[in-house]
Amino acid sequence: MSILCADSPSLEELLDQYGIDILWQPSLSSEPKGKLDALIEAILRDEQRLDILCIEGSIMTGPNGSGLYDPYRGRSKMSLVRELAEKCRYLVAMGTCAAFGGVHAAPPNPTDCTGIQFDKKLPGGLLPAEWRSRAGAPVINVSGCPAHPNAMTKTLAMLASGLPLELDHLNRPKDFFNSLVHQGCTRNEYHEYDVEDSAFGEKGCLFFNLGCQGPTTHAICNTELWNGRSSKTRAGVPCFGCTSPDFPLDQDLFRTEKIGAVPINLPLGVERANYMAYKSLAHEAAPERVLNKEMDP
Amino acid sequence: MARRIIQIDLNRVEGDLEFQLELEGREVVDARCIGSLYRGFEQILIGRKPKDALVITPRICGICGTAHLYSAVLALEQIGRIAVPPNASRIRNLCLMAETVQSDLRQSFLFFTADFCHPKYAGRPLYEKTLGAFLPFKGWAHRGTLEHSRHVPGIVAIFGGQWPHSSYMVPGGVTAPPTSRRILDSLSIINNLTRWFEQAVIGTDLGPWLELESADQLFAWLEAADTHANSAIGLMTRMSRDIGLHRSGFGTSHMLSCGAYCDSAGGQMFKSGFLDGDTGKIEPFDQAEIAEHVRYSWFEPYEGGRHPFRGETIPDFQPHSNRYSWSKAPRYRNEVVQTGPLAELLIDGDPLIGSLYRAEGGNTWLRQFARLRRTALLLQKMREILHELAAHLDDPHFTSPAADEIPDGEGFGLITAARGALGHWVQVTDGAISRYQVITPTAWNASPKDSEGRHGHWESSLIGLTVDDPDDPVEIGHIIRSHDPCLVCTVHLLDTGKRMTVWP
Repeated sequence: MSILCADSPSLEELLDQYGIDILWQPSLSSEPKGKLDALIEAILRDEQRLDILCIEGSIMTGPNGSGLYDPYRGRSKMSLVRELAEKCRYLVAMGTCAAFGGVHAAPPNPTDCTGIQFDKKLPGGLLPAEWRSRAGAPVINVSGCPAHPNAMTKTLAMLASGLPLELDHLNRPKDFFNSLVHQGCTRNEYHEYDVEDSAFGEKGCLFFNLGCQGPTTHAICNTELWNGRSSKTRAGVPCFGCTSPDFPLDQDLFRTEKIGAVPINLPLGVERANYMAYKSLAHEAAPERVLNKEMDP
Repeated sequence: MARRIIQIDLNRVEGDLEFQLELEGREVVDARCIGSLYRGFEQILIGRKPKDALVITPRICGICGTAHLYSAVLALEQIGRIAVPPNASRIRNLCLMAETVQSDLRQSFLFFTADFCHPKYAGRPLYEKTLGAFLPFKGWAHRGTLEHSRHVPGIVAIFGGQWPHSSYMVPGGVTAPPTSRRILDSLSIINNLTRWFEQAVIGTDLGPWLELESADQLFAWLEAADTHANSAIGLMTRMSRDIGLHRSGFGTSHMLSCGAYCDSAGGQMFKSGFLDGDTGKIEPFDQAEIAEHVRYSWFEPYEGGRHPFRGETIPDFQPHSNRYSWSKAPRYRNEVVQTGPLAELLIDGDPLIGSLYRAEGGNTWLRQFARLRRTALLLQKMREILHELAAHLDDPHFTSPAADEIPDGEGFGLITAARGALGHWVQVTDGAISRYQVITPTAWNASPKDSEGRHGHWESSLIGLTVDDPDDPVEIGHIIRSHDPCLVCTVHLLDTGKRMTVWP
């Protein structure tokens, strides 16, 4: 449903302007009978070309390694994905579940879920870390819960039009995962001067007390707004780090764990001693309009 | 007569479903609705902090996360005896309405009406017009729906940051206040959507259309102008009735609605209730009358039914037994019930839906029509809510609860999601979630048999149905899709191994 909200490019644009032909999409396809099974058979026999295979959802390997918690026609989807993966030029994991395991893989991981080429942070999931698609690429992880609509359609447009697609250490396209959620957050000036909220519904920064993971999470939420409108942090909802392999963290999601007055997890790459010094000075420098929270985020 | 079993796999947003149907000739004589995907959300929540449910449960569903968030926050507020200011309820209601409108439009014109383009209907008088409107990615109604259903979740983003999957409803209210900018941006979305809805979906102005209050008035309206007859709802209605969808898909006559949208007086904007199909009377809804059975489900067995506060979700996968589903079988007052917009509007007392129901019963077409009727009603309500917010701009949107944490105890949150009655039942022990049970609308409609062997609603709505072509039973797609399952059906014959796909 998230991808139906994409507007730049939209799903229709992918079809009309980028030459993408959707062979099958479970919610939208409306093809003559036999199409899906005939398609799968034709792909497996190398009679139908499969340029891009998009997989949503974590790979359920339970119960007992059978994969039958998530069956397709009496067999596991796990085995079907494994077979189709050998035939595609590119394999794209759409969303954190397909990329890393996601919510379904949270403790106690009742269905023995994994991502396609990662199991949480560890390389190697359903497919081994060294696996490559026919075009020589690893699984391309467009993570997020849900994945950002325009990150999904832009990734497909890049593949379809041959634009370069560089990946980060988690095999996510760098174009969408090289900046932090913190970047572009409209609460940044509050963060800058150490004006931190401890209750919901206010205007300040959510990082120090309310569990916000914006300064440690790579995603475009604040540089390409959701539904063209806003982002969670702008609306006063903490970032829960849903593009990260360890989402959801196994801890209170609305509370920041701290050492003394400072969060345990600091903004990416920052030294604790320097950060503490900066924060104590920052508060001293705060202007009245920030201390009084006069600005709407 | 030759009996054979056909299998239909249904893929939809909330999970995967599969039907196994037994046919005698062309008649369905038995049906088993199989919830084929097990996800274990209830287990994942145990041991977590109560508020984590606001992050985890919206992710149960890609299309109704706002509904799950609303249920979860109501359950936590009940446990903590936390009151919320009226503006918080207004914003919650507005966002749930936006999500529902988004879902209803997509279900109607991306999923349901695509079935009318099946080649089987090529000889029908409306076929060409149907293709022009509903053909996926080409028809004007399909394209218009893609475009306009994309913008309405923007209202959730304006107040909650993003759609889907935000967590802006928190115990005590919502995280962001109504501001003039938010209100005007939301009004703009509603203005544009309403204009398209009037031009394309109903072919007339919203106000007069909502005043239609009887079956006779509706059918006269349909004939009164080409713009009415050839609107999306006009074509959907005429095509449905041409192929007899007003005479199929009845299922159980008992209907359930949890009501929807908390008002500031402690009530709900849409009334809750139980419509007893035997007496025709609407009785008050009481969640204590809900019990879930697992006799035919892949969970550790127990006798009879259990209220969700005593429920258990311990998987026990037994594929070669007579148990057949990952869905439990919820029952209300020990009856099989159906839920969804038809139940919601009948129980709330919408005169037009009531009149059509009395004339022809709760059929496939009426179920679909009721969904679009609801869209029209919600477009009007959303505008009203925005005007109320504008009149109370300086009122609070959040009141800090007395305690930081949710105390030990139990609570439930019941609302109406796009597909019908949704409930969360939560117990908190030693500061952590000790039990979490969710009953989704689809669990009611798609339930397997209960401990007394009674079929669920979808199962019973298919039994007795005659299909033209058992190898391609498009009739089943119409009936099941009228319940909004967002699915694609695929069929294969177990006995020959020959596989085929129902044209979805």
